[in-house]
Amino acid sequence: MAKAHPIPVTVLGGYLGAGKTSLLNHLLRHNAGRRLAVIVNDFGSINIDVALVESQEGDTFSLANGCICCTLGDDLAMTMTALLKRTAPPEQIIIEASGVADPVRIAHYGTMPGYRLDAIVVLADAETVRQRSQDRYIGATVHHQLLGAELIVMNKVDLVSPATCQAVRQWLGIVAPGARIVEAVCGAIPLALLLDLSLDRMAVTTDVVGDRLVDHRSSYETWSFAKDGSLDGARLRALVEQLPEGILRGKGILTLSDAPTTRTIFQLVGRRWSLKQGEPWDDALPSSQVVLIGLPGSIDAAAFEQALQ
Amino acid sequence: MTETTVFTATKIITMNDSQPEASAVAVRGGRILAVGSLDEMEAWGSFSIDNTFCDKVLLPGFVEAHSHSVVGGFWEYPYVGHFDRVAPDGRHITGCRSIAAVIERLRAADADLDDPEEPLIAWGLDPIYFSGESVRAATLDRVSTTRPVYVHHMSGHIVSVNTALMRHEGIDAESETVGIVKDGSGQPVGELQGMPAIMSVRSVFERLWSSLNASTAKWRFGHIARNAGVTTASELGAAAVTPEAIRQWQLVVNDPAFPARIVIAYSNRFGGPSDPAQMAAQAARLAEHSSDKLRLGTIAKIWLDGSIQGFTARLRWPYYLNGTNGLWYIAPERFREELLAYHNAGLTVHVHANGDEATDLLLDTVEQVLLASPRPDHRHTAQHNQLASADQFRRMARLGMSANMFINHIYYWGDQHLTETVGPERADRMNALATAKRTGVQFSMHSDEMVTPLGGLMLVWSAVNRVTATGQVLGKQERISLHDALRAVTVDAAYQLKMDHEVGTIECGKWADFAVLEADPFAVDAMALKDIPVWGVVLAGKLHPADGRGRE
Repeated sequence: MAKAHPIPVTVLGGYLGAGKTSLLNHLLRHNAGRRLAVIVNDFGSINIDVALVESQEGDTFSLANGCICCTLGDDLAMTMTALLKRTAPPEQIIIEASGVADPVRIAHYGTMPGYRLDAIVVLADAETVRQRSQDRYIGATVHHQLLGAELIVMNKVDLVSPATCQAVRQWLGIVAPGARIVEAVCGAIPLALLLDLSLDRMAVTTDVVGDRLVDHRSSYETWSFAKDGSLDGARLRALVEQLPEGILRGKGILTLSDAPTTRTIFQLVGRRWSLKQGEPWDDALPSSQVVLIGLPGSIDAAAFEQALQ
Repeated sequence: MTETTVFTATKIITMNDSQPEASAVAVRGGRILAVGSLDEMEAWGSFSIDNTFCDKVLLPGFVEAHSHSVVGGFWEYPYVGHFDRVAPDGRHITGCRSIAAVIERLRAADADLDDPEEPLIAWGLDPIYFSGESVRAATLDRVSTTRPVYVHHMSGHIVSVNTALMRHEGIDAESETVGIVKDGSGQPVGELQGMPAIMSVRSVFERLWSSLNASTAKWRFGHIARNAGVTTASELGAAAVTPEAIRQWQLVVNDPAFPARIVIAYSNRFGGPSDPAQMAAQAARLAEHSSDKLRLGTIAKIWLDGSIQGFTARLRWPYYLNGTNGLWYIAPERFREELLAYHNAGLTVHVHANGDEATDLLLDTVEQVLLASPRPDHRHTAQHNQLASADQFRRMARLGMSANMFINHIYYWGDQHLTETVGPERADRMNALATAKRTGVQFSMHSDEMVTPLGGLMLVWSAVNRVTATGQVLGKQERISLHDALRAVTVDAAYQLKMDHEVGTIECGKWADFAVLEADPFAVDAMALKDIPVWGVVLAGKLHPADGRGRE
């Protein structure tokens, strides 16, 4: 059973001060209806809103919106095993890596039975990341963290000039050539990017950051595709392999012509993607649905549709 | 009036430089009343004489300022490591120097278990000594094809398992967990690397985990200390300091039969507050649970980097021979906050710094903290310190710091350091005790039990000989004298635990804590030092003979 519905795991890395806590707070406030479990190194900075806390059991806080927040405990593997045994196991887990941890190593925990790795997200402070990367002690650690990222959130872009922002983005592209880069203020990025949401919730909307309204719709594009019946597996693979770099996340529940009786689940984060066998269609009508989220200009709807038809 | 007992001995090596030698020591109420000759004891009135040690040599009980009690839990299970060890019950356990020896020991253990379902757990495996041959399911299936077999490696990060255990836990070709090692055809081979993979055999791991945290583990740790002549040992931050854990420590250590004093360093590694000020406040508050034998609330532990043999220590340029560098375990900014908080709360902070770059960060940070918040006699201690160079020792001395050196590494990993980790020049100056001495830094030596076996004599042997497991001498100019070496495992280690006014020398007013040896270290060949039999210890005047030797 665990193998059929593995819980997606997101690793959140980045050096001290990059904004992991802001992002986690953002996530816990706007959980998109998902039962999230956030595993933090410590509660020190997370500042859980007391009004939201429904109950506390040891080092685990349960929030009214169904999310829980817990500390690492003795060991991350043991904490994650305990989460699986809860009466209502979480629908997604977000692990906050310590400021010096290698997020790729933490991501190995996402391959434990009952789990699957969803994304390795690393935050970079637009103001300080280049300077930190030169630091005598932690420079190499910062480089290594960025190199392991699938998605880099360049945070605090409101604190730098557009020219600096552009320069940092370019620099990140060089030090982390495998990562996709997005920009954020106070760690507010669309949940649809960060979480494995159901297809109908993969919309990019707005966020309120402090007293400001952030309209993500000007920063991201979404493409949805749906049809009855099956898709040609070979054509789908060819399309995915040639997707532009700006495509950040994708998900699909598909019927492939070579496996017409079962669902095929498509997942894409950054440049990593997979097609895995899902539940059988049984009595339901086989269909195919895909959503992609990308940076402006990355989506060529006509070409994508043509590739799949 | 409290009774006075006078112990006579062939020789009492006091480590008190004002009175280096004596032949009698008077004990009253657990403390040393007088040291000298039998005649000199008369001044204190009537006493009874105990001649148990009339043919033995007394030293101050050894003090270990960096050890871990968890080893006591492992001893519930058979040991299959490469090097010989002494079990808590005093049995000399020969190391398993071949795969055949590992199998033989495991087969014997298998035969000892009545319940056919009970997993066989063993520990200490170190396959680097089997010249490239690994111990995996194919090997362990020769022990049993039906009973689950779980062998915990010495490194702590790898476990070898047999096919029965993999079958039981559902580990197969489909398993996707990173760290489950597979062969060319995709079949798991019975090696689990890292915690995510080790948790694939959760039921057995949890069994081991509960053994490590049981009170029997703490008792065994005390027995290991006693067998090695250690009367004050530390738990340097690798055990929980929850209220339940503290209660367990109190029950065990305060028991009159427990043969050692234990100093517990605070760390929040197993939970607790994460705000540095709160951590420091909690650490200091633990002092209220202290007793004569159990010490809490005086020292705290912080880890900076990994281990040299694990290639995870942070090294100065030119890094490891393979060009890599290790890992930070804490961000420098966070380290400064924690150090400052403990420092301001009056604690002595013991900082794990294996590589010389980690030592640099430690020194930079201590200097910043001292400038921000001057404090006399802080005794902040650099732990392990294995690659510290002369410039770093000079700085340590100026900053009022101590150095606790991992000298046993020379014997246990010296050969690997020469050829695999850091190369000959740096291997020669690893744990540079003579340099530390010359630069005037206060220093001690430690075993890091369970990384190497607890015991003052082994440390002293390593310091005066600097000989590796294959018999090579590593940096003979860094050898120190026997006297300095003995200081480093007695009073100078006590200094780092802030107990040098209570233990560490045989001197009027201190606790009557003695290591009882069968021979005089100054009278044996330097290479024989580690093999001097230990009769046992005296703790606060009470006799605790090592197991296997019997009471007189």
